Amino acid sequence: MNTIFRRLLMVEWSGLLAAIILGAAVLAWLSPAFLTEFNIYVMLRSFCVALLVGFAQMVTLAVGQLNISVGALGGLVAVLAGGMMEKLGFPVAVAVPLAIGIGGLAGLLNGVLTVRTGINGFIITLATASAFTGINLGITESIPFYDMPPSLVAFGSNRFFGFPYLLIAPIVVAALLGLFLARTVPGRHLLAVGGNPQAAELSGISRDGITMLAHALSGALAGAAAVLAVAQLGSAQPTIGADWLLLSFAAPIIGGAALTGGHVSVLGTTLAVVLIALIENGMVLAKVDPYWVQFVLGALILAAVWLNRWRAVRTGMG
Amino acid sequence: MHLAIESASKAFPGVQALDNVSLELRPGEIHALMGENGAGKSTLIKIITGLYRPDGGRLLVDGREVSFQSPRDAIAAGISAVHQERNLIPRFSVGENILLERLPTHRGLLDREAIHREARRYLDLLDRGIDTRAEVRTLSVAQMQIVEIAKALSLETKCLLMDEPTASITEHETVALFSLLRRLRDEGAAIVFVSHKLEEVFAIADRVTVLRDGRNAAIGEPMSAMTRQRLISLMVGREERIVERPQRTVETDVVLEASGINTAFGHRDISFALRRGEILGLYGLVGAGRSELARAIVGDIPVTGGALRLKGKAVRIRDMHEALDHHRIGYISEDRKQEGLILAHSIRENIAVTIWKRLAGMLGLIAPPAEARAVLPYVERLEIRTPSIEQTVGNLSGGNQQKVSVAKWLAANVEILIIDEPTVGIDIKTKAYLHELIHEIAEAGTSVLLISSDMPEMVALADRILVMHGKRLVGEVANGRRYETVSRAIMNRIHAVEEERPAAAE
Repeated sequence: MNTIFRRLLMVEWSGLLAAIILGAAVLAWLSPAFLTEFNIYVMLRSFCVALLVGFAQMVTLAVGQLNISVGALGGLVAVLAGGMMEKLGFPVAVAVPLAIGIGGLAGLLNGVLTVRTGINGFIITLATASAFTGINLGITESIPFYDMPPSLVAFGSNRFFGFPYLLIAPIVVAALLGLFLARTVPGRHLLAVGGNPQAAELSGISRDGITMLAHALSGALAGAAAVLAVAQLGSAQPTIGADWLLLSFAAPIIGGAALTGGHVSVLGTTLAVVLIALIENGMVLAKVDPYWVQFVLGALILAAVWLNRWRAVRTGMG
Repeated sequence: MHLAIESASKAFPGVQALDNVSLELRPGEIHALMGENGAGKSTLIKIITGLYRPDGGRLLVDGREVSFQSPRDAIAAGISAVHQERNLIPRFSVGENILLERLPTHRGLLDREAIHREARRYLDLLDRGIDTRAEVRTLSVAQMQIVEIAKALSLETKCLLMDEPTASITEHETVALFSLLRRLRDEGAAIVFVSHKLEEVFAIADRVTVLRDGRNAAIGEPMSAMTRQRLISLMVGREERIVERPQRTVETDVVLEASGINTAFGHRDISFALRRGEILGLYGLVGAGRSELARAIVGDIPVTGGALRLKGKAVRIRDMHEALDHHRIGYISEDRKQEGLILAHSIRENIAVTIWKRLAGMLGLIAPPAEARAVLPYVERLEIRTPSIEQTVGNLSGGNQQKVSVAKWLAANVEILIIDEPTVGIDIKTKAYLHELIHEIAEAGTSVLLISSDMPEMVALADRILVMHGKRLVGEVANGRRYETVSRAIMNRIHAVEEERPAAAE
């Protein structure tokens, strides 16, 4: 029994799972509102955008890069999607893939700039973040697009008992991303470049190409998160993405990602976002000032990083 | 495959790593590439595998001139290599590492069964005990080396370059590797084999090319006509170069004494004494454990047994800070860019870092003018070429950077200075100056422990030379300043130790 417990402790997401189960049990016991259908719907709905934002950062962490522009890029994609649907009258089926594609292209731009200039991706994406936000505000003059197609708004707000339809998107993306990283050649190469760039290059893998791929993927995921945010809010707000940056790092890092690259976990990131959603929900139910969510998130990141470090030392593979 | 390099040259800032080097590799031969540390062997291999581009010369594959832009091109041309650096992905399985750039797929997804089946085939040639599903980071160093070799073999190329493949594997595995290499040779592969172990080279190589100081000392001579002494002569140089500097016999008090020291790194039973004003050389091949011994003395690697005495008093040094502040020991790392200097800071800050405590005035504030006054004499004395002491160290040449490293410890007024590879990548003129400086420091009473792979440097500077091999001291050689005699004595000492072990190669 003891060995099973120990082995479980060594699995990266075990602590998260335990925290989620414990947290949910405590909340269910303390608050009768917690297990109501509507509360579950609210919680799951807040989970959707956050998970895609976490994934957007996770793929750049996987290759050993950072993407500071996730939020700015998401904001830009959100208003472009809104503009295409409201001003240009594009149907949802055209506007959504186009918007995600634009996100991918913007990410590719980050990648190309990083690879071609040799400048640290942190600086490049810091600069493009400002540029993307500038374009966003220049186009909208801070005025949202309110007239969204009814089908999109319905997708963003309808539910099947406690299950929001919106949740379909992150579930599909998580499955595809997990498959991509674990079972496809470009996915493995992405982690190989993150794990040991020199070794990957000597094995004949194109380090530059893979770095660009990771940035493009990050942009597309941020774009997808933006589209979901538009559906959820029912309008294309220029402020979408403004508060994503901390979350984008918190989710993969709490989920066990190595900041040095080469190791990320789709399941870990997902559980991290569940935990964050649970904490936010618990604080709302307990009527705690929502500003304290920031504090808890910070403490959680520290705890997670410390736990990973401890595990690395224990297994002698730090 | 027939592969030829004609007059390849490659320069790095401050050094000519290769100067008109040629190598001819025929199908169906095992070709040894020999030379002392820093002779240019690894550089040559990196040119052939597309990692470096040569400044001049031609690379011919089957008679056609080629130009590799990246390792991809070399692999595509049928060349694979085992490099000296570890080149595996730690979090990936053994199987994935072996087949990394051509992972088998089934309907677009990785075929895990095929990965492990394929990898098993190559791994079984060397070692059946390694699980292809294990993550590489859980393996021992020797097992990782086996995986690297299996990876190179799995490309089934007609040209295989192996840079010290046997450095960290067991004798049993070496035997398996050699019979495999012989089989590949008989099937027509061209194999380059780099090793410092002479008996291995005599056991397996058909021909040998020797490099010395980045030039050819021999090109493709048959091993059948080669003797051990002649091979050593080719590596170290034939002519007796006599160094001008007079021989010294130092008979002052012992300042630092190690008796029977063991370390966490694996050093066993290390004993030596360093006298005041003496330059004690510590020579060994790559991986012998010299730098690690230095790090153990300054407390960076734990000493697990034996005693370290300073002026007769037993001490226990826990870190660099204690070494400097309590015992006046300084350490100049071989990696001056990463560990020795703060490249983005000025000369003033880099030198003053060791004496900030002394300079700090009231309230612990440091006044830059006081720093400048303390630093300037050293900049002038060491002739550091710079318009100003505010110059960023990263902008200086390698030689001037090294002068700053030395100045930093001179300013700290240390009694014992450990200098690790003081002149790697430094031009000849500055090198001569640094040698003069080290000599001067010693004459002034500072004890110097000099670590160097550069044999001429050792002969020019050291009063006595300790020889280290396999984390042990294997002998002491008196330095008569006669280059050939000394280097031959050292090489013989190292190879004698190799032979005392049971023969692995046959």
